[in-house]
Amino acid sequence: MRTFIYSLQTALKSLWHEKWINLLTVLSVGVGLLILSLFITISLNIDSSLKRWSKNFGLVVYLDEGLTGEAEETLKQFFLKDPDFSEVKYVSKEQALQELRRMLGTGISVLEGFEDNPLPSSFELTFKRKLPEPSFVRRKADQLRQMNGVDDVEYGEKWLSSLHTLSGVMRTGIIFLGGAIFIAVTFVTYGTVKILFYRRKDEVETLKLLGATRHFIRLPFLVEGIFIGILGGIISSAALYGLYSFIIYKGPQYLPSISAFIIPLPLSVYIPAPVAGAVMSLIGSFFAVGKIKY
Amino acid sequence: MIQFSNVSKSYDEDVVLRDVSFAVEKGELAYITGPSGAGKTTLLKLIYCAERPDKGQIVVSSWDTAKLKQSTIPYLRRNVGIVFQDFRLLYNKTVFDNVALALRIHDMPPKEIKGKVNDVLKEVKLAHKAEILPQHLSGGEQQRVVIARAMVSRPTVLLADEPTGNLDAETSKTITNLFREINARGTTVLIATHNDSLFHGTGRRVFHLKDTHIEKETIG
Ligand SMILES: Nc1ncnc2c1ncn2[C@@H]1O[C@H](COP(=O)(O)OP(=O)(O)OP(=O)(O)O)[C@@H](O)[C@H]1O
Ligand SMILES: [Mg+2]
Repeated sequence: MRTFIYSLQTALKSLWHEKWINLLTVLSVGVGLLILSLFITISLNIDSSLKRWSKNFGLVVYLDEGLTGEAEETLKQFFLKDPDFSEVKYVSKEQALQELRRMLGTGISVLEGFEDNPLPSSFELTFKRKLPEPSFVRRKADQLRQMNGVDDVEYGEKWLSSLHTLSGVMRTGIIFLGGAIFIAVTFVTYGTVKILFYRRKDEVETLKLLGATRHFIRLPFLVEGIFIGILGGIISSAALYGLYSFIIYKGPQYLPSISAFIIPLPLSVYIPAPVAGAVMSLIGSFFAVGKIKY
Repeated sequence: MIQFSNVSKSYDEDVVLRDVSFAVEKGELAYITGPSGAGKTTLLKLIYCAERPDKGQIVVSSWDTAKLKQSTIPYLRRNVGIVFQDFRLLYNKTVFDNVALALRIHDMPPKEIKGKVNDVLKEVKLAHKAEILPQHLSGGEQQRVVIARAMVSRPTVLLADEPTGNLDAETSKTITNLFREINARGTTVLIATHNDSLFHGTGRRVFHLKDTHIEKETIG
């Protein structure tokens, strides 16, 4: 514990004493983490937009012509019991026609030509899951199509798969970018701590001769590395906060549609950067100090 | 307390010590002398494991240095106070902090460190320079800081390499007296020097190192 306090003091002194190289490193770490945070933020926004758009994603089940009210009710009960669906809405032939009229506008004579209403009645089913797997939706649709009284099942297949692909691409991108930034930040602190270590080589040598353990010698450098990482992370989070606030308050003035995409960031978004910075720099410093030989 | 048995040491092709055997008893104060380049510093380095022997056995206190693991070396060194020929002071730290460092590595509470360092600085007559950086001290004063750092942890063995290097007779005498006091408290002291006047008339054992071996042992 006392060793830790001593290391803390030594690290803080060194942080101040070598302020320029440390500042440069903190900024580099900060920029690296900011790029990653921005990417994650953008991807979070895309994801949430996807979820919002696809909230009412579901199936339209067209029923066979001339189905009795009893048979329709049986189907309805069946859909309501299915745990995959959150909402079941019945659209009668008449409602469908009204809807069509409304969409086409009044005074269109096409529809007058029909004696009977040609539209089928249907059920609109909404999935419980926010963004269901395309394969799951297909399976479900095929299953429902087999049922008695069901004429056809429709859903936006292409649309759903492209949403899925996009969100998958973002996720892969984050993994790759995250890996790259992890390596970059680790190397930056590795280099800096290596320099700091060599600058204090005489001191380290003397400590060894006086009987200091490896742990005692190593700890101040590790603590300094962690400080660099945390400071870099804080800078990154502060910049992200600033940038994000700017976009939220000023963005809609120039690009009104932007507010449809932007979600307010939860506070927990700002925590990972300092933590990630600390971990990455700790690893960098650990390798920079290396094995201490007597 | 310190025992060399048939120790040999070369740097590349350069043989410095060949089959050296001698022993310093517990509580003894002894000298090693010899011309410059004879291998006095090398011999001391072998004791605190800064160099390892090519051959032979070195026992310090109860440690057989050949069997010492890397991770145990610090614990040996904590029992050996060293007055380095080149001082090895940290010039960006005050006199106080330089001396305190020898105790901080022991994980001693700061309060205790403060008392011990102040006491030892009084002993070497440097209490009034505690907050000064070493480069603002004279050679003799720096030498005394190094001695203070070596003795502050009360080691069982104290090694002094040319502790009166280029000091005047008066200062040398003060420093010799310091070692005598340290020795009187029970610390085994081994002093390496090429300065004959340091051991003349002391009645202590002197090992004469010359041409890679201990040529003779005399009483000073
Ligand atoms: N690290 C080293 N690498 C190569 N040769 C060395 C090394 N250290 C010492 N030597 C050589 O070993 C010999 C003995 O050196 P050492 O420093 O032990 O002598 P010394 O008796 O302490 O001399 P002085 O009285 O000048 O301090 C010298 O010839 C020196 O050049
Ligand atoms: Mg020497």
